[in-house]
Amino acid sequence: MEDFLGSLGPLLQSTVRYATPLVFAALGGLFSERSGVVNIGLEGLMLISAFAGVVGSKFSGSAVVGLLVAIGAGLVFALIHALMCITFEADQIISGTAINLLALSGTGFLMVVIFGSGGTSPRVNGFESVAVPLLSAIPLIGKALFDQSVLVYLMYVLVPVVYFAVFRTPFGLRLRGTGEVPEAVDTAGVSVTRMRYYGVALSGMLAACGGAYLSMGLLSAFTEGMTNGRGFIALAALIFGRWNPLGAAGAALLFGLFFAISFRVNQQAVPIEFVEMLPYLFTIIALVAFGGRAIAPAAIGRPYRKE
Amino acid sequence: MSEERQEQGTPLQSRLLQIGIGIGGALVFPIIAILLSFVIGAVIVLITGNNPLAAYLALIEGAFGSAEDFGRTLVYTTPLIFTGLAVAVAFRAGLFNIGGEGQLYIGAITAAWLGVSLGGLGLVAIPLALAGCLVTGFMWGSIPGFLKAYFGAHEVITTIMLNFIGINLAYYLAQHPLRQSGPIPGTESIPYGARLPLLGLSLGRANFGILIALLAALVLYLLLWRTGLGFRIRAVGLSPGAAEYAGMGIGTNTVLALAIGGSFAALGGGVEVMGVYGNMDVPFVANLGFNGIGVALLGRNHPAGVVLGALLFGGLTSGAQEMQFATDVPLQLASVLLAVILLLVTATKLVEFIIGKRARALAGVHLEKGLGG
Amino acid sequence: MAESEAGTGVAGATAPVVLEMRGVTKRFGEVTANDHISIELRRGEIHGLLGENGAGKSTLMKILYGLYSPDEGEVFVDGERAEIRDPKDAVSRGIGMVHQHFTLIPRLTVAENIVLGAEPRKGFSLDLDGAVRATEELSERYGLHVDPRARVANLSVGVQQRVEILKALYREARILVLDEPTAVLTPQETEDLFGTLKELVGDGLSIILITHKLGELIGVGDRITIIRDGKVVGTVDASSTDEGALARLMVGRDVLLRVEKTDVKVGEPRLAAENLVVHANTGVTAVDGVSFEVRGGEILGIAGLDGNGQTELAEALAGVRRVESGHVRLDGEDVTSWGADARQQRGLAYVPEDRGSKGLVQDFSLYENNALKTYDERPFSRFGWIFPKVMRRRAAENLRAYDVRPADPDARAGSLSGGNQQKAILARELSGDPGVIIAAQPTRGVDVGAIEFIHRRLLEQRSESKAILLISLELEEIRSLSDRILVMYAGRIAGELGPDATDEEIGLLMAGRGAEKSA
Repeated sequence: MEDFLGSLGPLLQSTVRYATPLVFAALGGLFSERSGVVNIGLEGLMLISAFAGVVGSKFSGSAVVGLLVAIGAGLVFALIHALMCITFEADQIISGTAINLLALSGTGFLMVVIFGSGGTSPRVNGFESVAVPLLSAIPLIGKALFDQSVLVYLMYVLVPVVYFAVFRTPFGLRLRGTGEVPEAVDTAGVSVTRMRYYGVALSGMLAACGGAYLSMGLLSAFTEGMTNGRGFIALAALIFGRWNPLGAAGAALLFGLFFAISFRVNQQAVPIEFVEMLPYLFTIIALVAFGGRAIAPAAIGRPYRKE
Repeated sequence: MSEERQEQGTPLQSRLLQIGIGIGGALVFPIIAILLSFVIGAVIVLITGNNPLAAYLALIEGAFGSAEDFGRTLVYTTPLIFTGLAVAVAFRAGLFNIGGEGQLYIGAITAAWLGVSLGGLGLVAIPLALAGCLVTGFMWGSIPGFLKAYFGAHEVITTIMLNFIGINLAYYLAQHPLRQSGPIPGTESIPYGARLPLLGLSLGRANFGILIALLAALVLYLLLWRTGLGFRIRAVGLSPGAAEYAGMGIGTNTVLALAIGGSFAALGGGVEVMGVYGNMDVPFVANLGFNGIGVALLGRNHPAGVVLGALLFGGLTSGAQEMQFATDVPLQLASVLLAVILLLVTATKLVEFIIGKRARALAGVHLEKGLGG
Repeated sequence: MAESEAGTGVAGATAPVVLEMRGVTKRFGEVTANDHISIELRRGEIHGLLGENGAGKSTLMKILYGLYSPDEGEVFVDGERAEIRDPKDAVSRGIGMVHQHFTLIPRLTVAENIVLGAEPRKGFSLDLDGAVRATEELSERYGLHVDPRARVANLSVGVQQRVEILKALYREARILVLDEPTAVLTPQETEDLFGTLKELVGDGLSIILITHKLGELIGVGDRITIIRDGKVVGTVDASSTDEGALARLMVGRDVLLRVEKTDVKVGEPRLAAENLVVHANTGVTAVDGVSFEVRGGEILGIAGLDGNGQTELAEALAGVRRVESGHVRLDGEDVTSWGADARQQRGLAYVPEDRGSKGLVQDFSLYENNALKTYDERPFSRFGWIFPKVMRRRAAENLRAYDVRPADPDARAGSLSGGNQQKAILARELSGDPGVIIAAQPTRGVDVGAIEFIHRRLLEQRSESKAILLISLELEEIRSLSDRILVMYAGRIAGELGPDATDEEIGLLMAGRGAEKSA
């Protein structure tokens, strides 16, 4: 029993760490999808930002600068997605897939150009863990929740902030309207195009925080392909959480738990591959159980054409 | 009345003209996407301090310069034809098949297993193993079909999820039950007698897989335009409402289209294993499924177009090594170009920007499906 | 059909002009939707804008609301020239519009829908309580009762319309435009609406009411402007005109064309519905125990306002929609559990009301559409293989026989005009020599020449002892073709009449007033 409790603490700590990039990306996805634009490209946005953050940190020596560069990169690429989908009416799924491929090949390309070789970048200054006094001393969950990197604390703050923004502000009301019945928003004099650009831009910036945490919080360097499907898991968390910030964060936490378990599990008993499958399996089950189509924002996926 | 007489006179000519205009109109988008991406690629090369012209020339030379180069190009092209067909058949039914990655892996592990078990039969093992791939791919591909038909689960998400599940499943099999007795993670090698023979003709490593791929493209063409099933698939894809009113079961055809897509992609995986690698290592190939999407879109979801698109993608990938060798431009540029092509190829309004509204009407491809279904 | 006093007191000839549109012209490609239209609106008046579908009324109002920009012409609000480039401009000028197709967000509440775009704030946040309060105030003031916290998805159409009106009032509209507001209302709801409009006008608002239903305007309008083919044909006082005069102005001809009907001997029942109960997509009961028979050699017309179950009835009879209980019989055989293609093979033809997305595959060629239901039968198919050449030949014959233009089997279906598409569908359905024909809205959006053609063909089939079920929203069509008429209301047969029944008789049944008869 003691042994179990003893390993529970570190497990929870791991869970929070693995969940953080997922939460960021899921919140980002929330803004985009609530405005009516599918964002399959979360994976690519995270990867690009992870890389950009490392580059920023390497050449400035500061992790914060790295974070800002990461957010900038995420914003830029998200705007490319927005430009393609909203202004040029490209298919949103395909544009997102293209962003993912672009991120993978682009970061590989830039690795060679900037650092001279592929694989893993040199180590950089990241966001070390900072223990919150008093709170981190709470047994069991103290370390898990309050002895983490600053970015994790940022994540804690963002969840309620995003909830507030989406459900309690005029901006949020208009955003949700845009994703449900863009005609209604348009005839009320609010620009659908602008709202969608905001939604996608925010998704880029939030996903960037997730990517930056990956390369500068969870680890301290960039490795090619390091997102490894996390962007898709974040999308899954968003769907599982029914496009609600609290639900998405909760789902991300659950999936973070799967990650944490996968590294601790006895390889003989349960092959690691099966644990890695879990988030995806769960999402499929959730889709089937909840009937995903009925709860997605109604106008999602279609370009808005004024008559 | 005079129209009738004209029609009787030269029906063949007017048909050919119609086809010509159709192809021309259809090609406008892909060509513009390709040209634009090359321009963007040139800018990137310039920024990194290299000469774009030299880079592109090296690229083309690497892809088609010699018979051996061309052979390598064919090797890269082959799996893309399969994954391209897998995406194309689904699109024809109005569905997104993003699951090519997983489906390919399922086919690969099937071939890796059957190739070894049946290896003693020599060349006879090949059609048997590939048939096995068709079966497993069909079953795997039908899963998202069922989930969509009976639960309304959107196939974009389910196919993406199944990618990861499929890849992990294949890796598990490759590293545990089917693992070879050696230090390298992966399956046992298939005996040489049971592998796809090389084409010869100084085409380097090109093997019969390319012929199988071309055959597959032909099969898809016949399926879509010469069979009742294909008629149904196209009808359901173009107008589910009218198809339903005509008594065509949407559910059944959804499952079939995705299952057939799975078969094609799995066949591709099988051909890779039996023709190129001889086994399935861990890690195995990457992004063939996703690039299949680009191939299908460039090819406007027509088997002939898929073959051409696959040749372009394969050529770029193949030539990239030569480009990196000759000019110091990292070979990832090829993948970047492919990604940009994919980004641009459905941006219909962008082309309108450039050419004007009439061009857009010529080749209206509207893939307005998202998570809203 | 609503009986209320004509006009109000405020809008006399001396009331100031609050809105004037001068010489407004709008072209869409080759079509001129508005041709130098000039209208004026006085304060406190209800001004009717009358015209047939496609006459140009909606276009004119969309220009007023900033959704379109005019090619020529000017707009004056309260005497001042106004440049209205988008709905925001229109709203700032006090113009509010209630669209024909509601622009409400089902998932949000009434209050949220009303304030969206002009939200009351408390610092950064949305003042939801303030929104609710504002809604309640407006609701009280104008007598438009709604529950601010209710989700729009749960409201009836009549209440949703009230929300749309409140949206405009919230933005302090002084000029209110309503586009075909009664198209989706029951007669009771229509009366309520007109009562509301009178109150609004009493409060100083000015209203433009767009409609194609002349009877209503005589009851509630002050002046009426008639638009035909994009031009203003005249402006009259409601009190000094009558329906006949208005109809003549609207349509430009005295009497609508009626096709010659001969006497045909009626045979056995070929299509029978027995106590059919059918649900709509939402799960609501759309058809509530309907029974009737159609005999060979007769046309049974089903009249009724849109949305009373006719669509679902047709779909159930055709085999496209599931029947919850009851039976469908074809020539005596129980086909209730049969699919659409099986029924088609048994001799049932179905011309659906939505030719665009249900009748034809727009991106298929005409020959493929022609074989849409028979592609897997000989001679088009054998062992799963299909033969396009044979399909083309057969299609060419059919298309010529049914005057489809162009009669080109390879032409893309979507490139044909509405009338020709409808003829192509007819060609497909009738060429198999069906015994029973279900035609739903067969001439909706079809040009006059094609209408005549289609009507003649239906009568031809009738002469050949086929049984025809005609469902239509156009009373004239029902009257001129049917041997018997059933009126549907709220999913039931409200009554049966002969083709010589008066508008009033039919209207009463359509409105749900009148004894329920089972046919």
